[in-house]
Amino acid sequence: MKEKEMEKKSYERPVIKPLNSGLMNKFGTRTEYTPVTHIDGVSVKSLIEEYGSPLFVFSERKIRENIRDAKRIFETRYPKVQFAWSYKTNYLNAICRTFHQEGSWAEVVSIFEYHKAVSNGVPPEKIIFNGPDKTDEDLRISVKNDSLIHIDHLDELYRLIEIADEMHKKPRVAIRVNMDTGVYPIWDRFGFNYENGQAWDAINKIMAGEKLNLIGLHCHIGTYMLTASAYGIAASKMADLALGIKRRYKKSISYIDMGGGFASKNTLKGSYQLGTDAVPDISEYAEQIAGSLLNAGFETDELPYLYLETGRALIDDAGFLLGTVISNKRLSDGRRSTIMDFGVNILFTAFWYDHKVSPAQEFSRFTEDTVLYGPLCMNIDVIRENVTLPPLNAGDHVVVHFVGAYNITQSMQFIALRPNVVLIDLKGESHIIRKAETMEDVERNERIPAHLENFKL
Amino acid sequence: MQASGWRYYGALCGDGLLNSYAQIFFSKNRIFAVLLLLVSFFDLGAGLSGVIAVLIGQITALLFNYPHAPIRDGTYTYNALMVGIAIGIFYQFNFSFFTLLLIASILTFFMTIWFATSLGRKGLPFLSIPFLLVLWIVILGAGNFTALRLSPKESLSLLRYFPELFSGSTGLIGHLPFANAIYLYLRSLGAIIFQFNDLAGLFIAIGILIYSRIAFSLSIFGFAIGYLFYYYLEGDFSQLIYSYIGFNFILTAIALGGFFVVPSRKSFFSLLLVIPMIALLISALDTLFSQIGLPLYSLPFNVVVLLFLTVMAQRYRSSGLQLVSIQQFSPEKNHYKFYNTIERFRSATYFQIALPFIGTWRVSQGYDGEITHKNDWAQALDFDVTDTEGKTFREPGLQLKDYYCYDLPVTAPADGWVVEIMDGIDDNEVGEVDLEHNWGNTLVIKHSEYLFSSLSHLKKDAFRVKKGDFVRKGEIVAYCGSSGRSPEPHLHFQLQATPYIGSKTIEYPISYYLSKEGDRYRFHAYEIPKEGEQVSNVQPGKSLKSAFHFIPGMRLHFEVEEDGRSYRSDWEVFITAGNLTYLYCHDTKSTAYFVNDGTLFYFTDFYGDKRSFLYRFYLAAHKILLGYYPGAELNDRLLIDAFIPAPVRFIHDFAAPFFHFCRADYRMRFSEVDDEQQPGRILLGTDSRGACMGRACNHIEAELLIENERLEHIEIFVNQKKTTARCCD
Repeated sequence: MKEKEMEKKSYERPVIKPLNSGLMNKFGTRTEYTPVTHIDGVSVKSLIEEYGSPLFVFSERKIRENIRDAKRIFETRYPKVQFAWSYKTNYLNAICRTFHQEGSWAEVVSIFEYHKAVSNGVPPEKIIFNGPDKTDEDLRISVKNDSLIHIDHLDELYRLIEIADEMHKKPRVAIRVNMDTGVYPIWDRFGFNYENGQAWDAINKIMAGEKLNLIGLHCHIGTYMLTASAYGIAASKMADLALGIKRRYKKSISYIDMGGGFASKNTLKGSYQLGTDAVPDISEYAEQIAGSLLNAGFETDELPYLYLETGRALIDDAGFLLGTVISNKRLSDGRRSTIMDFGVNILFTAFWYDHKVSPAQEFSRFTEDTVLYGPLCMNIDVIRENVTLPPLNAGDHVVVHFVGAYNITQSMQFIALRPNVVLIDLKGESHIIRKAETMEDVERNERIPAHLENFKL
Repeated sequence: MQASGWRYYGALCGDGLLNSYAQIFFSKNRIFAVLLLLVSFFDLGAGLSGVIAVLIGQITALLFNYPHAPIRDGTYTYNALMVGIAIGIFYQFNFSFFTLLLIASILTFFMTIWFATSLGRKGLPFLSIPFLLVLWIVILGAGNFTALRLSPKESLSLLRYFPELFSGSTGLIGHLPFANAIYLYLRSLGAIIFQFNDLAGLFIAIGILIYSRIAFSLSIFGFAIGYLFYYYLEGDFSQLIYSYIGFNFILTAIALGGFFVVPSRKSFFSLLLVIPMIALLISALDTLFSQIGLPLYSLPFNVVVLLFLTVMAQRYRSSGLQLVSIQQFSPEKNHYKFYNTIERFRSATYFQIALPFIGTWRVSQGYDGEITHKNDWAQALDFDVTDTEGKTFREPGLQLKDYYCYDLPVTAPADGWVVEIMDGIDDNEVGEVDLEHNWGNTLVIKHSEYLFSSLSHLKKDAFRVKKGDFVRKGEIVAYCGSSGRSPEPHLHFQLQATPYIGSKTIEYPISYYLSKEGDRYRFHAYEIPKEGEQVSNVQPGKSLKSAFHFIPGMRLHFEVEEDGRSYRSDWEVFITAGNLTYLYCHDTKSTAYFVNDGTLFYFTDFYGDKRSFLYRFYLAAHKILLGYYPGAELNDRLLIDAFIPAPVRFIHDFAAPFFHFCRADYRMRFSEVDDEQQPGRILLGTDSRGACMGRACNHIEAELLIENERLEHIEIFVNQKKTTARCCD
């Protein structure tokens, strides 16, 4: 509070705005100008002073709250639940280990992520290896370690059978199944199709070959699913396969992995409603999945475990991007534009979402429509095409919300380097969990052929 | 098993003969039986006549095709035995005598059957009524037949040949304090088999002591009460001295203090009221019966015991004094078994009730709660869901959906019929209560006659069942809401004896549940969850369940190794007509009764050779949790037999009805698994320790390995002495 009182009142330039009282639309105006001055009790200003701008900030409290919430929501609806942290969503080691501390296993989609999980200390038998690209060597490592291999296509299945044979080990496997859940387009590029019999074909091959231990079934029906009932349909189809395997081969399936795809509270581009209103709660997904599995007809002592690879919905709102205004500008059509010091190279998700942006300091009640640009000298670098914000001055700070998922893993050094990433722990202490990149970091792996070493201009 | 051959019938009648003696004192103890047999032969005529009477009874039973089990345990013939001894004492041996003996013995058998059926239908014992009636008939009827000579046959009495033996024991007692009372006590004991002397009494007293310490203290206690009653009310002691009718005190005390009633402080106390009744009856009936010249014998005992047992059986609720349900033919066994069962299961008769939800919930209000669980509705449980900080909602907590438990599935606590549904009451806003519809949306399920469960404050229009539906345990029936008197979402759960919404609650435990403290689980059986506990249902696991799934007809073979020798132990699984399952070891003829209810495997009883491997397994795997919960501990109590040295147990028996100073505790824990979610290989450890006044006694440790859904390997250490067993096909 003291900090606030001492602060000099900031200058706001006057704004001219047409009055349109009586013509409000039924949803009211979307203003996003509630200032967010602190994250978990730490002031935005002090964070930027200490770690620079832009800056990614993660809240450990929020992460733990999210995973505990999700676990409770599922475990009070289905008795056997296991979460696995989706590495591709955010594989910063500090983030992964927070999830592992909360009991999550690891779900990886490449040998790079696999090694990352191992080096984080995840027991290899608690690593789920997904994805279409697993080399023979990758398969050998995971067979040796007894990890859970989710088979994506027949070629992988054949290769795995050969490898199992040569290693005299029976790998624990699941097949990935794709299906029609009433949501279009159907995600049918991964795994074996349910409706056309590919899934049964793969199952029969595994069971007849007797080289692989089929213990699970996996599906991942899509991403950012806004229809919870699709999961109910998917779970029913998975249960149907599991019960079919029990009937035909007297083999109980240990787990059904429903993958990920739960939406976070972000607002998708082109969406009429805000994400917070349009997106189902995790409890709605849980109700659908648990309902289908409990009603499928499993024997009580043969109820399969439910695995969940939820990523985005558990981390998105725990991540914030702090940034600073570089300049304001009027566009030729009279719209205001504001240039920020962070661009789409580090906020990759700006291509999909209308990210919520809050000013980080107090303002009066006046707002104005604004285009938010990034600092890159590229036309694609747009953060928000249209956002209602109070007038901002150069040097003012903003907070971008729901940036925890996919930005860390998909960001790049396009034009500018990547900034510091900070974690605020439960006591309100901040820790750097990834240092800002330097030129040395980027050039470390570069090699210059001798004939290119020197030049004269 | 209708085996033929002399050997079989010889053994049958031999066992039956001995048991007939012991049964007079409610026992089946061999040593006691032999002592009584000896005492009966103090008069050779009586002894012989008793044996003949039993044999006649047995032959009659066999000729009439009666089942062999009651013949073997003497039930049909102990009355004939007493009749035989009595008339053997009264009459001289001649042809008429044996005719009378034959007729009387057969008549006694008929009477036995008559009373066994007519009283048995009411669950009452026939005691010595057949003996009483037949002897009266003989006394009243024999007068007409002059060929029967009523005269003492001194020539056949031991007293005549060894008088110093009898006078010696009498003289010995004469030096003791209260000698007169001791004479009276011993002679009353002797009088039970018509030996009115101290030596006989001494033999019988020692026999009782060997048979049961509790029965011995009861005999003295009962006799003392009767004696003191006569003394203080200035009764006519000649009534007691004439034919030593005081044995009625002793028999009644043993019967009601420890045989038909579980011996306890209370059973001893009840004798303070019952024995004076006997005294009054003796006095009254003596006056009456002397008019018609009949002795009373055991009439007061028979009358009072039947009266008392009827009164006990007709009670509305059986608390306090407890009737023995499965007769073990020993007050000690009746006592230990009953209290062990109470400690282990509270009561075996409970219907199994599970928690009505999935996952972990908190008991927000327990029995006799501060808020609403009062008076007629005190035995109810409220549940909600909390986060790690103990909050029941996520911020801001202004809407129902902010509450963690809102809209969670509610499941049926047990199989049953939906008998009542109240729906259509709106869920309240947070903080509001609807006092007009106190219970809110409610579901009542009927589980059995007089057992209903009721779930209240459910979500409106979210019932998955309708009135009349049959629901299975664990089936989702409704969703948690906040209707009725519910300021925030929660689930009200109660058990009741009537089918109405808002019925009076009854105290009823949850059969099995886990409570969670931090990361550790604690297993509870037949307990009532306490306020604040985080509780969940037990989820049994396939491999444990299969490993202990012993089905009738199944055979188990073990390669046992101990003390450097190895042998095979073969067990077979059987089931009784009453649906009790047991393991039977053919080599040692041992039986171990067990129960597998899907959540627990546990042993209930063992009969047979206590050196057998089956007995060690019975102790080592006394109770096994069939779901894998790391860190979970399961506790149980064992009978002290295997854990406390025999001399200490002998002393402990005297104290047992009043307090226990020895105990044996059992503990089971999981030590290792290959895969926590789908354990295929499970190593579990049990350990049982005896303690006497806090000092450690015998100690049994065991490790059981379960692999491929069966018991693969067993290692048992009895006081560090190792036995290993491997399962083989």
